[in-house]
Amino acid sequence: MEKLNFKTYLEELKKYSRYNFCGYSENSIYRRLEKVLTDKRISLEELLDITKKDQKFVDNLVDEITVNTTDLFRDPDTWVYLYNHLYKKLISKDTINVWHAGCSTGQEVYSSLILFNELGVLDKVNVIATDLNSKVLKAAQNGEYSYKINKLYSKSYKDLFDRINPDGNDFSHYFDVDIDNDLIKVKDFLRKVPKYKRHDLVEEDIPFYQKFDVIFCRNVMIYFDGDLQLNVVRKFFDKMNGGASLILGSHESLHGFFKTRFTKKGLVYTKTNTFHYKYK
Amino acid sequence: MTVSINDYKAIVIGGSAGSFSVVSKMLAKIKPDFKLPIIICMHRLKHVRSGLVDSLNIKSNIPVVEPFDKDKIEPGKVYIAPSNYHLFIEFDNTFSLSTEGVHNHSRPAIDYTLSSAATSFRGKLIGIILTGANKDGAQGMKQIHTKNGYTIVQDPKTCDIVTMPKATLDLFTPKAIMSPDEITNFLNNLE
Repeated sequence: MEKLNFKTYLEELKKYSRYNFCGYSENSIYRRLEKVLTDKRISLEELLDITKKDQKFVDNLVDEITVNTTDLFRDPDTWVYLYNHLYKKLISKDTINVWHAGCSTGQEVYSSLILFNELGVLDKVNVIATDLNSKVLKAAQNGEYSYKINKLYSKSYKDLFDRINPDGNDFSHYFDVDIDNDLIKVKDFLRKVPKYKRHDLVEEDIPFYQKFDVIFCRNVMIYFDGDLQLNVVRKFFDKMNGGASLILGSHESLHGFFKTRFTKKGLVYTKTNTFHYKYK
Repeated sequence: MTVSINDYKAIVIGGSAGSFSVVSKMLAKIKPDFKLPIIICMHRLKHVRSGLVDSLNIKSNIPVVEPFDKDKIEPGKVYIAPSNYHLFIEFDNTFSLSTEGVHNHSRPAIDYTLSSAATSFRGKLIGIILTGANKDGAQGMKQIHTKNGYTIVQDPKTCDIVTMPKATLDLFTPKAIMSPDEITNFLNNLE
């Protein structure tokens, strides 16, 4: 093995675990690794040693070096746009296939479902939500959030509804709030809709048969370098219906080849309907 | 010692409380053909999400943009860290964004932008810390100093709130302590 540094460490991590961070934006993943070393007061050599021996340690390490920030109706402008310009168009379809890639603790999944329900099409949506991290996936599935930390959810909810549908359902239609037990809980009729599945965008092929009408992948690919982004977008592209939408974070954009295969309207990247025939 | 612009690849600026008007005045006076990219990380109020870039652009002699993830860093542009994202500089001269937790109560965090710039540009970086009510940025400035970049701290006498420059001065002695006008002149006179 070459001299041990963060880069070679990530190569070793790939060998000894199911995780591959080699295509991550270098400066930021190295910094998060450095923070782990400082917090645990260990050297990189020691980290590698433990990595080789202790799978549970590796799972926890992955929790620390991956980022799991999400919120109910995060970036309200995005949701106003989606409700008015995308979801209202989708409701005429027989089924609406949605994939949240990198769903974290699920707030975005429920934000989207609430809007579909407001449009009366909850029974038509087929929602898959995936994440690399099984811990956050479980939290998403439980649909339980700390009241203390998230007590502003009812305000974000009301602010958004004032903009899109002031006569819509109240917050309490979708969430039970139990202050004594510090809980905001998603009601079962909503919570049971999405199918959650652990999936690694980097390492695995896409395990779904259906093609999607909407793919959310917000603030996930910002941690990937350019080549890896291209790889992942290619996987999305192949799994999208013509005219389907890809929703990225508010400061993400498509680069390179795939820029030409999507048109951007507002905050949504739409797969173009141009067909390219390839002869072998 | 003369400072040559050819020895540098970028300028990074951090600021918090009071820094908006300082940055705004600096950009109004910087020469339009200034050839290094200027990367600014400013704390902003959470409810002020938009409008910052627009209001800076009205005065600035150089176009001001909020970079998107993986955008190339180009000369002749001013980049402002977008609201609610950390802004990093990568080794291949691109930006990357992150939504990881707040640092020093801040996202964007000045430390992150400055220290990633120091890691990527090493000594070929000019780092400037302005007025602010938080110690964020001091560690980042120290990184620039350690990697032999050129460090400038806004003269506390000219600061609305001195916490940020003072926290920096507590860590090391910068190459220069200057008023906002002196900083602008310094940049304009780089050859």
